[in-house]
Amino acid sequence: MLKHYLTLALKVLWRRRFFTFISLFGISFTLLVLTVVAALFENAFGPGAPEPRLNRTLFVDRAVMYGPHSTWSSSGGFKLFDKYARNLPGVERLSLYEDERTVQSFLEGRKIKSLLKRTDDEFWRILGFTFLEGGPFGTDDVSQARFVAVINATTRQRFFDGRQALGQALDADGQRFRVVGVVEDVSELRGAPFADIWVPYTTAKTDAYRREVMGDWHAMALARDKPAMPAIHDEFNSRLLRVELPDPKSYQAIVAPFETKFQGFARNMPTGDRKDPESQVSKVIGGLVALGLLFVLIPTVNLVNINISRIMERASEIGVRKAFGASARTLVGQFLIENILLTLVGGLIGFALSVLALHGLRRSGIVSYAQLTVNLRVFGWGVLLATAFGLISGVYPAWRMSRLNPVDALKGGVSR
Amino acid sequence: MTRHLLRLIWNRKRQNFLLTVEIFFAFLTLFGVVLFAVHYANNARQPLGFTVDRQWSISVDRKEPDQDPAVKSRHRETYRQLLIALREMPEIEVVAGAFTGPYANSNWGSSVQLPGGHEIDHGVNSVTDDYLELFHIPLVAGRWFSREDDGAAWKPVVLNRRLAREIFGDGNPVGQIVKEERNPNLPPADSNEKPEVKRVIGVVEDFRQNGELSTAGNYLFYRMTLDDAEPKAGLPDRLFVRLRPGTPAAFEEALVKRAMAVATAWSFEVQTLDGMRQDKLRQYELPLAAVGTIAAFLLLMVALGLTGVVWQSVTLRIREFGLRRAKGATIANVRTQVLVEMIIMTSIALAAGLLLVAQLPLLPLPRDLRVVPGAVFLASIAIAVAAIYLLTLGCGWYPSRLATKIQPAEALHYE
Repeated sequence: MLKHYLTLALKVLWRRRFFTFISLFGISFTLLVLTVVAALFENAFGPGAPEPRLNRTLFVDRAVMYGPHSTWSSSGGFKLFDKYARNLPGVERLSLYEDERTVQSFLEGRKIKSLLKRTDDEFWRILGFTFLEGGPFGTDDVSQARFVAVINATTRQRFFDGRQALGQALDADGQRFRVVGVVEDVSELRGAPFADIWVPYTTAKTDAYRREVMGDWHAMALARDKPAMPAIHDEFNSRLLRVELPDPKSYQAIVAPFETKFQGFARNMPTGDRKDPESQVSKVIGGLVALGLLFVLIPTVNLVNINISRIMERASEIGVRKAFGASARTLVGQFLIENILLTLVGGLIGFALSVLALHGLRRSGIVSYAQLTVNLRVFGWGVLLATAFGLISGVYPAWRMSRLNPVDALKGGVSR
Repeated sequence: MTRHLLRLIWNRKRQNFLLTVEIFFAFLTLFGVVLFAVHYANNARQPLGFTVDRQWSISVDRKEPDQDPAVKSRHRETYRQLLIALREMPEIEVVAGAFTGPYANSNWGSSVQLPGGHEIDHGVNSVTDDYLELFHIPLVAGRWFSREDDGAAWKPVVLNRRLAREIFGDGNPVGQIVKEERNPNLPPADSNEKPEVKRVIGVVEDFRQNGELSTAGNYLFYRMTLDDAEPKAGLPDRLFVRLRPGTPAAFEEALVKRAMAVATAWSFEVQTLDGMRQDKLRQYELPLAAVGTIAAFLLLMVALGLTGVVWQSVTLRIREFGLRRAKGATIANVRTQVLVEMIIMTSIALAAGLLLVAQLPLLPLPRDLRVVPGAVFLASIAIAVAAIYLLTLGCGWYPSRLATKIQPAEALHYE
């Protein structure tokens, strides 16, 4: 029976190629966009190499100083974290790292641009990099300001043609470093771990950064467990009340809360209020959901329209089937199979398109070292949504029509 | 006739409602994209105010903040030596220092508080005397900064034409003093701090720092000197050089080495202005391209969907059309009927859409979202409305032909 339904459905879909094409186009394209957006989000906020413990990691990404008339918003300074964020209760490890900066190297007349991040030894213990060669720099390297560097695979390719880099010298920004480790490339979207070259922060050309409350620094704290996270947030906020602010005439308060990565992202959206130390997540999620719904609305209305038209056209077919004794149940079964088949084919095409699009996006280099994969959960939800609307718009009118008197159905319904 | 058609539409209200909803959302999407596109196209036509040729930008990282006067004085001396060293290089034609420059990612904004509470926002830059020549900035009136301004009792400023008009109306701004009131929001001034007087010495055409696609705004130049007589003045964050024609890109290595020899503790990042320009354009184009592609596919989907639905409803109504033709309606009459029905539904959807879009300028949007000029807004509405009519009529055209292809006699018993 099922086989019979399937053959029938394929025949019907093929007979109305134009309608089938519109439905498939709508379903697969909508799934494509949803999947690409989900892949970008997943790469930025989902746990995964090199952030396996992301669900208990907190960051201070931005600091805002404000007074009655002025606001100064930037990253925090080294002093802010070094003096006030050490020994927070519930924190297992704390790492400080600077914004990655573009540095230039000249190799046989060729210019190479890399992004260099200055950080400490704890950085490597909180994050879980995959080392292709050697290992991270350690506590001694940082405290004795040794000129050592960890580089990523792309940098090894650029500087050493992909040959072994361990122990080799690397010139960047007028300083010479010895390579102690090579790691796999990390996606730009991940933020904290991303760079081409990582070196101990003590190799900076001057130590002026040590005196700055506002600067280019970030703090990353690994909480002992999830329940400890709110206490870390609160304790650091209360310590911030004691910070000696530069220019106290203009600025009276500083806001720099420890937050999860997504909370930090929400704070920096145009809708976020940077002066509010509390989480901004609900506002941003609301906005994103509204945007998503708006985007899904057009394909949905389109799908519903097409489906209703398709059923209207087949009123006489339903009439004939009923006249020859088909029950309402049989008819509904037929339309059910037809719609599910259509959605599944659309889903398959959408999946193939998503894989192609993500591959193209990776190749394009718009996002450095992006790791984009199809998020099966989001994809599944998309397919489910398409099926639901397909059923509501395709099966419900068919069901109503199947309950009509065969004579009316043959005429194309009584509703008009 | 129209009343009759309205009744026909009303009789099929359930299906027509969904069609109208679809057109409504299609209009909103299209309007958003068109607004962006028209806004950027309009920006691209405005004068840029400088010319990019053979310039390089050198961002300087001084590593040490210069709040401390002793540090600042040391930095100032390093800059002086740096400028001398660069000017000596034969490959370099002109050198200038500035806070920021074309296509750079740092912007500085301020405002002028006119008497009567009128506040005018403007972009600011602080530049050395060679900046005008380096970027070929066209001067409209007055003169540019020069040694003449050394030790002046006022702060010489050069405005762009737009800002000059905002402050002085149609009067001649050159030589005028900008009459400013103290901002009432600021704390009271120190009594030993003398108020700053700005005197306009010249007017330039424009200086759209963020490039071809950025929105034209007010702009003001301050003079930057590396003179010890003005200890409070800021130091450059960037140096700009213009190279002699034919200088190879490899000169960069020599340039950075020379700079590092003078300022050993500093870092330098060299970028060609042309490269920065392309990066900046990409910053504008990438989101527009992404949103535009998605919108184009959505509209294609809507177009296909509408065609399908109208086609379908026409097929179902072939008997109705056959009856009309049998009663004497011409082919043109029937076609017009299909299209006019389409126009009526589109108009209903557009009326709802316009009602919504008209609320936009009334919303309390943040200041940087309010930059779209009224003409651009109206033009975008007009383009979007016209495009939606074209789209729906296009979708109705083929089905309307279909409706009249069959002979009336056949149509009457068409199944």
